[in-house]
Amino acid sequence: MLNIDCPWCGKRHETEFRYGGEAHIARPEDPAALDDTEWAEFLFMRKNTKGYFAERWLHNNGCRRWFNVIRNTVTHEIVGSYKMGETPPKLPKSAGGAK
Amino acid sequence: MADNASWITPAAAIAESFPDGFSELRPCAQVNLRGDIADLAFTDAVKSVTGLTLPDMPNKVATGKDFKALWLSPDEWLLVGEGDAEALVQSLEDALAGQHVAVNDVSANRTIFELSGPHSHHALMKSSEYDFHPRVFAPGDCVQTLIAKSQAIVEQVGENMFHIYVRSSFSRYVGGWLAEALAEYNEAP
Repeated sequence: MLNIDCPWCGKRHETEFRYGGEAHIARPEDPAALDDTEWAEFLFMRKNTKGYFAERWLHNNGCRRWFNVIRNTVTHEIVGSYKMGETPPKLPKSAGGAK
Repeated sequence: MADNASWITPAAAIAESFPDGFSELRPCAQVNLRGDIADLAFTDAVKSVTGLTLPDMPNKVATGKDFKALWLSPDEWLLVGEGDAEALVQSLEDALAGQHVAVNDVSANRTIFELSGPHSHHALMKSSEYDFHPRVFAPGDCVQTLIAKSQAIVEQVGENMFHIYVRSSFSRYVGGWLAEALAEYNEAP
């Protein structure tokens, strides 16, 4: 089980949170200008990172805020969490167990 | 004033079986308030109506004369008190007119259980993954978490006394769970 550090409420148990997938996917500036392939790319295509991954979480049973977490998808190590719009924390040098 | 004296929740059906130190409180006024705490016009208006300085620290409670304010999120508070919810909403709306805020009477949303006694935090600790140990959770703190897998707000109102806010429709389940959680500590050793 994960202990996730909500930027407002502090460390809480994973059951209080909801997962929101990959972080930092910008909505296209002009959606109408995209063709179907580009739109599908934005909507559906996600990285399948092995190692450190920036992802969104929602503290839905707490303060109901969205925030970002850097988590290692192999070891479940959580490097840090940060509010929307903040700069991500520095990633550790090693790939962190992704061998 | 809304006539809430006759309100009952599903938990009322099992209230007779509640052990010592556990009860459902009678309905009170609860108002959800949203706004920007960095905006002095907002905080000043709230203070002029309620006398409260809204807590900007997460999971803290500010207590005023008639109402207290529970921190719910960075821009959201729950005002709780014995006063008149409709009157409070009206005076807040008047004072906050033109501002980007939300004021809602949510008195019927949640019912409040009172849990007290030397083992009250033990009953909470076995019902939740949040740490209710006195070294972490103290009077004046509140927390939104899961109690028996149900969303709840837990507020420590005093030494060995907690108020647990749960959705009215979940009250029979959570009330029954907490009553059972506390019962073992009331048995003779």
